[in-house]
Amino acid sequence: MNENRRQILEMLAAGKITADEAEQLIAALEPGSAPPAGEFTGRIAGSNGWPDTPVKTRAKYLRVLVESMEKGGPTTVNVRVPMQLLRAGVRLASLIPQQAHEQFDAKMSKHGVPLTLSQIKPENLEELIDHLEDLSVDVDAKEEKAKVRVFCE
Amino acid sequence: MIPNVAVLEIESPHFHMPRLWIPLLLLWIPLFLLSPLILFVILAACIAGRISFWRAIATFWGILSSLRGLQIRVATHQSKVSIRIL
Repeated sequence: MNENRRQILEMLAAGKITADEAEQLIAALEPGSAPPAGEFTGRIAGSNGWPDTPVKTRAKYLRVLVESMEKGGPTTVNVRVPMQLLRAGVRLASLIPQQAHEQFDAKMSKHGVPLTLSQIKPENLEELIDHLEDLSVDVDAKEEKAKVRVFCE
Repeated sequence: MIPNVAVLEIESPHFHMPRLWIPLLLLWIPLFLLSPLILFVILAACIAGRISFWRAIATFWGILSSLRGLQIRVATHQSKVSIRIL
């Protein structure tokens, strides 16, 4: 048996990792296994001198944090949106009537964005949401004394 | 799964509301009783907008059932508003 695989099974037997995590680790050991889109990497602390082991977990929430310094004191906005809600929300685009599609496309191209709404397929939207999980935006405006963080967790 | 509880907190210098647990489960009961009427209105809107009725139902159901876990919290130095859907 491969030594890494044995180590994972030992960690599982010792209760240091769950069966799901063990499965993910074993899958990661297999040659040619690339992390699927929309998964980020965490770490499990290694034992017996072994290095930390990467664990892939799927992001569940999109988090938006805004901190700004107003005259009276700090103002914070903390929004946590389930990724599932984003997925359901983008499906709303499929309910837009055809006439509205044409009007939207015309307006967008008028403003220099050659976008054809009818060409966006549900699988494209799924892909967009999946890649959103890798998104992390940090804005730190020192003059405005405001901070914005957008990330997935 | 559709959300069952919403937790609302409002706090201001002049007004302090204790954490309010709203059982959404109770809201679904009248909604289900009114569902024939609601479905009829949605059907009429779908016919008028020339969109698929079933797709509309599936989309709205998807949104409703994925609301769980939504959290919005706004706080200033004096006031605080927090909404959580569980």
